[in-house]
Amino acid sequence: MIDQLQKSIIEYDVESAKKIAEKMVKAGIDPIKAVNEGIAPAAKIVGDKFEKGEYFLPEVLLASEAMKAAVDILLAKSEARARQEIESKRLGKVVIATVKGDIHDIGKTILALLLEVNNFEVYDLGRDVDSMAIIQKANEVNADIIALSALMSTTRGAQKEVIDLLEGMGKRDRFIVMIGGGSVDDEWFRKTRADGWAENAAEAVELAKKLVAERR
Amino acid sequence: MPAPPWRINEVLERAETGPICTEKEFDTKILFPNLKRVIKEYDIRFDPDQIVFSDDSLADDLWKAAWDFYLSVGTYCTSTYRRITFTEKEIREAMSCLVEEVYVGEGKDRRRWAPRKVEDTKLPGCGFTPVGVRCDEDLFIPYVMAYVMEPLADAVSTPVLEDIEGLEIKTGAPSEIRGAVVHAMLARQAARRAGRPGIAITLTGTALLAAAQIATSNPEWGCKTTDIRWTPILSELKVGNDELDKMIHFHQNGYVAGCLVGPIVGGYAGPEGTAIIAIASHIQGLVVNQGYITCNFPFEIKNFSTTTKECLWTVSAIYQALARNTRFITLSNGFAAAGPCTDMVLYETAAHGITSAVSGASVLWESAVASNKYKERATPMEARMACETGLAAVKTHLKREDVNEIVKELLKRYEHRIGSPPLGKTFRECYDVEKKKPTQEYVELYERIKKELQDLGIEYEY
Repeated sequence: MIDQLQKSIIEYDVESAKKIAEKMVKAGIDPIKAVNEGIAPAAKIVGDKFEKGEYFLPEVLLASEAMKAAVDILLAKSEARARQEIESKRLGKVVIATVKGDIHDIGKTILALLLEVNNFEVYDLGRDVDSMAIIQKANEVNADIIALSALMSTTRGAQKEVIDLLEGMGKRDRFIVMIGGGSVDDEWFRKTRADGWAENAAEAVELAKKLVAERR
Repeated sequence: MPAPPWRINEVLERAETGPICTEKEFDTKILFPNLKRVIKEYDIRFDPDQIVFSDDSLADDLWKAAWDFYLSVGTYCTSTYRRITFTEKEIREAMSCLVEEVYVGEGKDRRRWAPRKVEDTKLPGCGFTPVGVRCDEDLFIPYVMAYVMEPLADAVSTPVLEDIEGLEIKTGAPSEIRGAVVHAMLARQAARRAGRPGIAITLTGTALLAAAQIATSNPEWGCKTTDIRWTPILSELKVGNDELDKMIHFHQNGYVAGCLVGPIVGGYAGPEGTAIIAIASHIQGLVVNQGYITCNFPFEIKNFSTTTKECLWTVSAIYQALARNTRFITLSNGFAAAGPCTDMVLYETAAHGITSAVSGASVLWESAVASNKYKERATPMEARMACETGLAAVKTHLKREDVNEIVKELLKRYEHRIGSPPLGKTFRECYDVEKKKPTQEYVELYERIKKELQDLGIEYEY
């Protein structure tokens, strides 16, 4: 059944993933084993397929949905210990948004999905998101990372605005702030005083892993 | 002849009353399955050996697939969470509103653009555009003048200002409106100083939101009705109220109204799906965004260029499908990965120019370079290469198969570098800013690459 679960996620079949997860619960399969041996490897394969250009955003979106649905079912009736163990393996919590004024969010959505399949807990706030709303959400969920995307050179100022606000509120040290998007380069990164920036989604995932590891 | 806009109130009403769905549902349950379906049903296949393909039936199938796809999917309004859909009859009525020609600019600087056919012997128009390259305020006027002074330029776009008079420009803040107004004034001043006061300018990159765009509409110092104004199509097949606000303003005030089509190769789909989305976006562009010209830049997700093999196929597919089946007036906007004063950027821009020209694009709208990312890294020379080479291909009646071979040869010279392209030089480094002329180094490089292109079969007039 673990192989079937893996296959359903790789084939981004949400309904099938749900049914198999339910069967696994009935069969008494250890949810930790199902996640570690079925879902985690499937997530990696989906991420790799995106990197190779075999999968595109909709496939990753659906695979992520299948993955989340299966985890929810597997953990719904499991012991607190199992839930804690799965949660403890999460690499961190990320609040991600395309900044205020910017309506371009494909890059941000791809990163959000790749972070999810790489075992981050992701709160995707969408596009054109107010700076204070991003900070409030990060506070609310006790995020490790705030990830800010801006495609346009005219909108990237809002990335700095979030950091300025965090500094002004005395909360800068609470969060790792990553920036990215078409308009971001090394010069802008230095100007914003962010903790890191990446050229593309795959690099951003590695950066997130590195920054979280350094913080812990 | 009917004329756009086409039933504006109907569109606005449907944006408020159409079927409700979340954006995720639209993407995964409506757009994605229909895209997969039409790719299969119409047997659309990317062939890396046939980048500028000569198969007319493929072009026609792409059009049929895009038509079927748009009828099935419609447009998602991100502001109201509703789908805006149309019947076949309605789209046909809107298509009948497409104009036969458009005039941009005024006085002696007025130019006519019209639809072209595949392998058309009529010349395409030429626009010189650094798109959204950032520049300092002190450079803005000479920078724009350098583009306006290019003899082939029918129209220009302008760089983007990050601050004015020490004031940082922030989208959505009052500084955006202030920056946009100054931008428009400076661009118009640059055109006058260059001796082309009436040239069409696509203002104003500094203004992203509708309020700032609207603020620049003033024929005395800002946007004239002979300028081109754009509303973007959000990726993919989406629109928001801000875009609709712009559209209403542009039509009401008589501007040349166009829409921006920038689907992402590697985002929602590969080249086949992206080409279908781009063609379908033209239908949305007409019925929702109400644009009767379009500016296309199907770019690659990782390096923001339109010059990979997959993107050039997509570029060719879009214009061939539209040129054979519609009378859209299409601008082909090239994005290169490499920066100015490099051999690679000249290979890339030449490849984009000839692909667009022979495939039926109405206007060569060239060129954003250095992945459209780095400050002051774009010059008129890259656009000059794309336009001179595209025009040469048309004047000498090159066929698609000829251009396909040239493009494949050019790809051999740059494709392996597209992942880590040379950034080249800034405008200040490879231009004499005072004289608005390229440095000797860049001129010599340009001539050397032109010679290579001659050896590949491009016959230039000069």
